[in-house]
Amino acid sequence: MTLSSSANHFDRNHFERSLLRVQQDVLRMGTLVEESFRLSHQCIFERNLDAARQIIPLDKRIDRYYRQIESDCATLMTLQAPVAQDLRLLSAFMQLVRDLERIGDYAQDLTEMAVKLVKYPPHSCLSQIEAMSEHAQLMLATSLVALADLDSSAGEKVKKLDDIVDEAYDNLYQILAYQSDVPGVVEPLLLLGLMIRHLERMADHATNIAQRVAYIVTGQRS
Amino acid sequence: MAAVDFCLGIVVGLSFYIWKRHQFKHQLRLVFKSFSPRGDWVSSLPPLSLVRRELTYVHKQQQELARQLQIWQELIERAPIGFLKVDAENRLLWCNQQARQLLNIDRWQPEQVRLLLELVRSYELDRLIEQTRELQQQQVQEWTYYYTHYASKPQNIPSVNVAKKIKSLALQGYGFPLPEEKVGVFIIDRQALVDLSKSREEAFADLTHELRTPLTSIALVAENLLKRLDDPERRWVEQMLQEINRLIDLVREWLDLTQLQRDPHQSLNYDLVELRSLIFSVWHILKPIADKKDVTLVYSGTESVNIEADRSRLIQVFLNLLDNGIKHSPIGEQIVVEVKPTIQNNAADREDAAVEIDIIDSGSGFAPADLPYVFERLYRGDKSRTRQGQTKELSTSGGSGLGLAIAKQIIEAHRGSIEANNHPETQGAWLKILLPTKRKSLTKDR
Repeated sequence: MTLSSSANHFDRNHFERSLLRVQQDVLRMGTLVEESFRLSHQCIFERNLDAARQIIPLDKRIDRYYRQIESDCATLMTLQAPVAQDLRLLSAFMQLVRDLERIGDYAQDLTEMAVKLVKYPPHSCLSQIEAMSEHAQLMLATSLVALADLDSSAGEKVKKLDDIVDEAYDNLYQILAYQSDVPGVVEPLLLLGLMIRHLERMADHATNIAQRVAYIVTGQRS
Repeated sequence: MAAVDFCLGIVVGLSFYIWKRHQFKHQLRLVFKSFSPRGDWVSSLPPLSLVRRELTYVHKQQQELARQLQIWQELIERAPIGFLKVDAENRLLWCNQQARQLLNIDRWQPEQVRLLLELVRSYELDRLIEQTRELQQQQVQEWTYYYTHYASKPQNIPSVNVAKKIKSLALQGYGFPLPEEKVGVFIIDRQALVDLSKSREEAFADLTHELRTPLTSIALVAENLLKRLDDPERRWVEQMLQEINRLIDLVREWLDLTQLQRDPHQSLNYDLVELRSLIFSVWHILKPIADKKDVTLVYSGTESVNIEADRSRLIQVFLNLLDNGIKHSPIGEQIVVEVKPTIQNNAADREDAAVEIDIIDSGSGFAPADLPYVFERLYRGDKSRTRQGQTKELSTSGGSGLGLAIAKQIIEAHRGSIEANNHPETQGAWLKILLPTKRKSLTKDR
C-alpha cells in the first residue's frame, strides 16, 4: 500500500481528490524541509555562507505550507467526517507537518550559528558532527520514504537509526564539555554544543514522523 | 380480383424493398467514402464483403499503429535522455530507464500509479511540472538534484561514519504540456558539463597564479636593464616592459575575477558610498585621456545618493565602464551618467530600495551579434572595432578584455545587475546598472 493508493479508486469523489492534494502538499513540504536541512549542512561544513541567505525564503515557504496543510486538514475533517484510515491520515498529517516545520526552523538556526562560527578555526570534532548531520538527513529521507510508501515498519527502523544519533550526541557532548584547554573565547564551543543539540532534536522529529506513519497504517501508537 | 390485389401487394412490397436496399447501399457508400482513406469503392461487390474488407483493412492498420507505438515506446525507454510523464494530478504515468537512473526512482512498478513526489523528492521538478501545466508552454529549468540515501532494511543500517549519504547531480529539465493536463518532462544530465567547466576554471586559475611570480621578476629585471642601456636597445626593452606590464595586469585581473566568482559576497568591504562624488573622482582619474579626445561627462539625476557598497570595487567598475565609454566616443562628444532611485525584487519576493545608474555614450555601440557575449571573459567582439579604438596610450585595463567581465562580477557580488544595450537615441553603448542601496545581511533580521 502506498500513500496515494488510498485515494486511487475509479470513481473518485471530491473528498478523495482533496485528500490527494493535501498528501501532495505534505510531500512538497517534505522536499523543502530536506532542502533546508541540506543548505544548513552546506553552510556549516562547506562554509557556503550564501546558503544562510537562500534558506530564508525557503523557510517562509515551509511556514506557508504548514499553515495551509493544517487548515486543509481541519476543513476536511470537519466537513467530510472521514473514518478509519482517512481520519488517522489527516490527524497524523496535522502532527507531522509540525515536526517538519520544526526541522526547518532548526535548520535555519543552524545556518545562523554557522555564520557566527565561520570566524573561528575549525574544531577537531567537526567531521564527527558532519557525520551526525548526514545521518540525521538520512533519517529524514527514510521517514519521508516511509510516509510515501506508508511503511508501518519504518517507525522501528528509524528509531534504531535515532539511537546512533543519540550516541553520537552523547559522545560529542563529552568531548566538547570536558575540553580543558580552551583557547580564547568559548563561543565556538558554545555554538558547537548548540549545533549538536539541534541536530539531535532534528533527528528526534524525523523519528516522530516515521512513528506517525506507523500509526496511520496500524492505528496503534508505539 | 384477389390475384390482382396480391400482385399489386407484391409489386409494392418489392419496390419498397428495392428502394430501401438502394438507400442502404447509398448510405453505406457515404459511410465508406467518409471513413475509408482509400476510396476505391467497388460497387459490384456485395455490401457484406465490402464491410468485411474494410474491417480487415482497419484491423491491419491498427496493428501497424500498435507496432509503431511499441517501437517508439521502446526507443524512448532506451533513450539516453530521461523522460517521464505525469497526469493532471501529478501522478507518474511512465518514466524511462534513464530517468529512473538519474532521479533514483527505485520504488516504482509500471502498473502502480503513484504521486511523483512520493518517488522523487525534488521540489524543483515539481515546480517545473506545475509551471508547465499552468502556462501551457514549454519550460526549461536547471537545478541541482540532491538524493539522500535512505535505510531500506533494518538489518543494513549504515554506521555514523559512512560518508557520502548525499549524492548531487546537475540536471536540466524541459517540460512539455500534453493534452488532458498531462505533462511530459525530458531530463538531461549536466553533471559532466559542470565538472568540466569547473576543472577548466581551476586549471586556468592555477596557471595564472603560476605566471604571476615569474612575470613580476621579469619586469624587475627589465626595469633594472632599462637604467643601464642606451638607444636603440633601450627602446626595445621599454617596449618589452610595457608588454610585460600588460601581461601582469591581465594576470592580476584574472585572479581578481576568479576570486570574486568563487566567493562573491565575502570579498567585499562594505562602506557608505556617495555615488555622485565617486563617479566624479573616477572621471578625474580618467581626465587626461578624456581631454585628449575632448570628451565630457554629463551627470544628471539625484544630487546625492548614499549606498552601502565596496568603495574600491565600485571605483573599479566605473573606471572600466567610463574608460570604455571614452575609448569608443567620437571626438568632442559627451558621456551621460544618470542616477535615479528605483526598486528591485529580491529573493523573498519583496521589493528593496535600489539605484539605477545609466551610462550612455555616443560611440558606435555594440554590434547586435555581440550583445549576448559582451560580459564574457576575453570576449572582444568585432576584432577590427576593438583594435581601432584601442590606441596604445589609451590602453589601461579595457584592453585586456576583462573590463566588462570584472564590472559584472563586482555588481553581482553586490547583488545588483548590469545590462548592456545600445541607446535608441545616441546609438552608443548603454550600460544599465541596478544596485541595492542597503547591504543584504546574511542573518535574518529579528
